[in-house]
Amino acid sequence: MFKLSELVRWLGLTEFEILLNLCGLLMFTITLSLKISGALNNIALDVKSDWFAVFSPLFFIDIFNAYFCVIVGIRMYLDSDNKRKALNRFMWSTYFLVLIAIFKYLLCLKLSGKTGLEYSEVFSPIFVLLQLVAVRACQLPNSI
Amino acid sequence: MTLAHRALFTWFILLVFLILLCLRLDPRTTWNWFVTFIPLWIFDGILVIYVIIKIIRKWRNLKRLRELLLLYKWNISGVLLTISSQLFICLTLEFPQAIPIYVTMLPISTLLLLAIIYVAGRLRKREGWLL
Repeated sequence: MFKLSELVRWLGLTEFEILLNLCGLLMFTITLSLKISGALNNIALDVKSDWFAVFSPLFFIDIFNAYFCVIVGIRMYLDSDNKRKALNRFMWSTYFLVLIAIFKYLLCLKLSGKTGLEYSEVFSPIFVLLQLVAVRACQLPNSI
Repeated sequence: MTLAHRALFTWFILLVFLILLCLRLDPRTTWNWFVTFIPLWIFDGILVIYVIIKIIRKWRNLKRLRELLLLYKWNISGVLLTISSQLFICLTLEFPQAIPIYVTMLPISTLLLLAIIYVAGRLRKREGWLL
């Protein structure tokens, strides 16, 4: 339904960030399979039933993405004449990364049974992010 | 449909799915997982129609079906893998012991792998690096 360039335009992520996220998700599916099948418990006893270990690929990718965004933000700010655009891009990336990271952290806590939050509360950062994404969708030009 | 319309439609489908998912995960409801996934089934149906229309529009110019399928290989494989991923996830959630987890994760892993290859290919074409 969407071309890659359209997704880049809508979500405000670069192709490289999308690639990193896809790699993280692939690793996550592998660790999740290992966790559910119980193989992870046999491999490493320390990480037994620890959901943070399962989600670690996604957290690593978030750190890489944050590093990438800081570098791009600084370079855009220094090189470009349009400082406002650089700040906007940096702020959007920050919102995106922080909200996703909070969601993953809360989900880990919930799955580990360390918090009494309901799933609707765990999903609240995603709902906030969805509102921001909707605003971006409304800002897209109607000619494309 | 313009990009804004498609984006808003996708956003709406995702929103409804997430609300249903939250309701299903909290212990208040015991819906069938196939019911919870209804917004995604609707989205898949529209996706299939979208790809078929794309192919039919091109069919007027190209006579060979094989050529056409090769042209839209990414779209077709993406849609098929998405549907099979959702189907396997629903089946596993509904009947937890029936299907091994590796079988459930196979379509979604393949889909992600294909997406990685596609995006890396696009990056390589544009930037001249990677792979």
